[in-house]
Amino acid sequence: MSHEEKMGFWEKTSNRREFLKFSGKTVAGVTVSATLLSLLTGCQDTASVSGFPLATGLLISDSTRCSGCRRCETICTMNNDGKADPNIARVKVGRNYNFGPGGPKNDFHNKAGNYGNLEIIPDTCQQCKDPVPCAEACPMEAIYAEEKTGTRVVDTEKCVGCGMCASQCPFKMITVDEDEKKAKKCFLCDGDPSCAKMCPTAALKLVPWKEVHATIQKNKHLFA
Amino acid sequence: MSKAYGWAGSILRVNLTTGVISAEETSKYKNYIGGMGFGYRIMWDEVPVGTKPFDAENKVIFGAGPLTGTGMPCSGRTNITSLLPSNPYHLITDSHMGGHFSPAMKYAGWDAIIIEGASDKPVWLKIENDNVSIEDASGLWGKGTFDTTAEVTKMMGDNTHVACIGQAGENMVNLATIMTGKSHSAGGHGGILGSKKLKAIGIRGTKPVNIAGDRSEWIELDKYMMSLIGANNQHVVPNSPQPWAEYHNPGSRWTGKEGLYWGGANPPVETGVCDPHDMNSVGLRTQKGVFDHGPLAEDLTVRMGGCQACPVRCHSQLKVSKLKDYGFSEYIANTCMGYFSPGGIMIKGWSDGEGRGEVALLGRTLGASLADDYGVWCNYGQIGRDFKYAYEKGILEKVLPKDEYDSIPWDKLEAGDPEFLVDFYRRIAFKEGELSHLGEGASWVSKRWNFGEDFYTDNAYKIWSPQMGFPVHHSNEAASQVGALISCMFNRDAQCHTHINFTGSGLPIELQREIAGEVWGSPDALDIPKNYTPMNEYKAKFAKWSIVRNVLHDSLTLCNWMWPMTLSPLKERGYRGDTSLESKFLTLATGINFTEAELDLAGERIFTLHRAMTVKQMGTIDMRNQHDRIADWVFDDDPDVKPFTEGTDKLDREDMELALTMFYKEMGWDEKTGAPTKETLVRLGLSDVADQLAELKLLP
Repeated sequence: MSHEEKMGFWEKTSNRREFLKFSGKTVAGVTVSATLLSLLTGCQDTASVSGFPLATGLLISDSTRCSGCRRCETICTMNNDGKADPNIARVKVGRNYNFGPGGPKNDFHNKAGNYGNLEIIPDTCQQCKDPVPCAEACPMEAIYAEEKTGTRVVDTEKCVGCGMCASQCPFKMITVDEDEKKAKKCFLCDGDPSCAKMCPTAALKLVPWKEVHATIQKNKHLFA
Repeated sequence: MSKAYGWAGSILRVNLTTGVISAEETSKYKNYIGGMGFGYRIMWDEVPVGTKPFDAENKVIFGAGPLTGTGMPCSGRTNITSLLPSNPYHLITDSHMGGHFSPAMKYAGWDAIIIEGASDKPVWLKIENDNVSIEDASGLWGKGTFDTTAEVTKMMGDNTHVACIGQAGENMVNLATIMTGKSHSAGGHGGILGSKKLKAIGIRGTKPVNIAGDRSEWIELDKYMMSLIGANNQHVVPNSPQPWAEYHNPGSRWTGKEGLYWGGANPPVETGVCDPHDMNSVGLRTQKGVFDHGPLAEDLTVRMGGCQACPVRCHSQLKVSKLKDYGFSEYIANTCMGYFSPGGIMIKGWSDGEGRGEVALLGRTLGASLADDYGVWCNYGQIGRDFKYAYEKGILEKVLPKDEYDSIPWDKLEAGDPEFLVDFYRRIAFKEGELSHLGEGASWVSKRWNFGEDFYTDNAYKIWSPQMGFPVHHSNEAASQVGALISCMFNRDAQCHTHINFTGSGLPIELQREIAGEVWGSPDALDIPKNYTPMNEYKAKFAKWSIVRNVLHDSLTLCNWMWPMTLSPLKERGYRGDTSLESKFLTLATGINFTEAELDLAGERIFTLHRAMTVKQMGTIDMRNQHDRIADWVFDDDPDVKPFTEGTDKLDREDMELALTMFYKEMGWDEKTGAPTKETLVRLGLSDVADQLAELKLLP
């Protein structure tokens, strides 16, 4: 994605209030992936303005298209950390791969995962609404909303790797890199996520709020 | 310890007799790259000649490589090395599985796991990074691989990957697998874990695989490689006419096209045009459900799947509701032989008379469920042909006790009812009765039941090596003497795909020959299918290169079903690929400068060590006559036609002897016997191997 394209992408995004109106009223009855549901659940409206404006776009995953190769995990860390390290990847597929979220159930054959109904659920950072749990938890005030995109990012200068953010993330999407003693959190690769670019089945996409809305209304599913 | 690059830096050793768990440095084995290379070197050093597969003195080595876990495309293979029970001499072999297991080994900090000794009670091995413990497996013993994996994961938590055996392995069936990730199996070594009472290895790793090179160089190389990648088996031409494609070929596994779906997905996912320049549809190119099972599978395909880090998804993940009638999950995954071998057991066909109909699909998926849960191996489809011979020649009626014979539901076999498989696999996995000797492999069962000479001379039974009891696997039908040579050189069916990926690419034969000329020195390296020419040195070079790359891939560990990238789907490159990619990735990963030639030399070292180990185990240097023989049907098929005439793929005996001579020469082995010479062993850095062979009087 060129710089111009990137900027164009962010301009297409809708405002927060519009999305929240949608999310409060029309989600029920729409077939969406578990990831999106959890995403929407985190975004019930408050109209208050704060230091954390809503991020203007989101990385979302389609569990129907995901084939579980986990290329996203190693691409993420190779790109951002210079090593292959799924443990600190900002997209997390491996933990849901065999048995779905929460691990093996007694009837695992019918639950998510490769040993179950074959659904692989990639977890992505929700870029939570204000109050942002990871930012709230950070004693160093190292997590802030990036100016252009609103993405919640870690200031590596301030981060001391204490892990408070990771422990407070409701979605367990932050991991402390034990080698570097820094928290690793999705920052959407400054608006051009490498994982989505290289996903071999187009199961990950960076979607502006407006398009999340439109896609669901039109197709009853994310990327159909 | 200093930071390791590429390699994790440590090898785990677990002694199940003493319970001692220890770690050692990987560095001493680095000349052997990893995976298969490590396995053979450790077996050479540590397992004495005369050891039987199920002896406590036998070892089994799980090997990852320096590229495993790096995330580079098609790097998810696990190599397993040990003695092979189904081989009549118990020769060393390596079996492999895909999935996510060996990457997890790397993330836990281990390049290899050496299992030695034997426990006196069922155990499983728990590995969480450096924390390794031997755990009680009394609650797991007796379970199938699916439940075992679930139980181990419950005990260890998410991100656990498990390699385990089913009941077949527990019962020390020769043809038993080690399974991981539901549909990935390594054939022939399951019984060895059973003999050691090791039910499973669970592994959770949270460490990185570091690369020495610059990250942006790595990413650029990855992108470049992704531009050269094709579909499954590196088929670079689509199966049907496509708007972007100059060629198409119905044999290609690049099945993606407009209007073809993962039809069992909700909503269905269209594979689409899959332009080779589009990185976001690489995983849609191979709709293997339809390729393996026919059009009926389209609507049952929930998705495609496969290994960690591989963008080419070659396992079809199907929903077959009727499987529930047999007590199995309706969800099943596999590819190729995993689906075909149950069909080989149904020697009277399927009840609806269709080879790719509904009954076949049910039977194949039921068979895959049974085989993968019990952990039964098929000896690359041979078990069905052994059964066919014994049944059709009336042998079973003679060798089975009457009550056993009468208890087998032959009516279901005759009627083509898939339920026959439920009975069949149970008998094999639990070693029930005389019939279960089919689970020993062709060599053993043919001797036990006194099969006739025609078992080896009739091409219906597809035995390639009468001496080793393994079948055809991309042999004379694949690139004439090249495939034939490759098939002679291993101690089980050859698992080499370097040559078949090239010839099966879908490109026109004249273009293939042109590129063959660039890679192996002359277009004459490659014959036109069924229009063969006599042996020449370029075919010997092609065969050698194919094997060298194959063993390198099993050491690095990369998938030889995709690598090497000799060809590409790109018209603008004249369909040329890039054979230097492995060495470039390895250089960036490890920081050690590997040229393509240097890496190939390491492959030659590993393969020559494989040969030396075979010489040592067999106690003879006469590999030509004692090991490298080919079944008569390869030369005697099409009796009215001479070899090297259009329309036949038969070979000529004298020409094949010449082929062996030329191949031995390329390898630097003794041209008369096919045993490695002292000079070659020394050249490859295997002086100590030469010394040992000299002591044993096993140098030519």
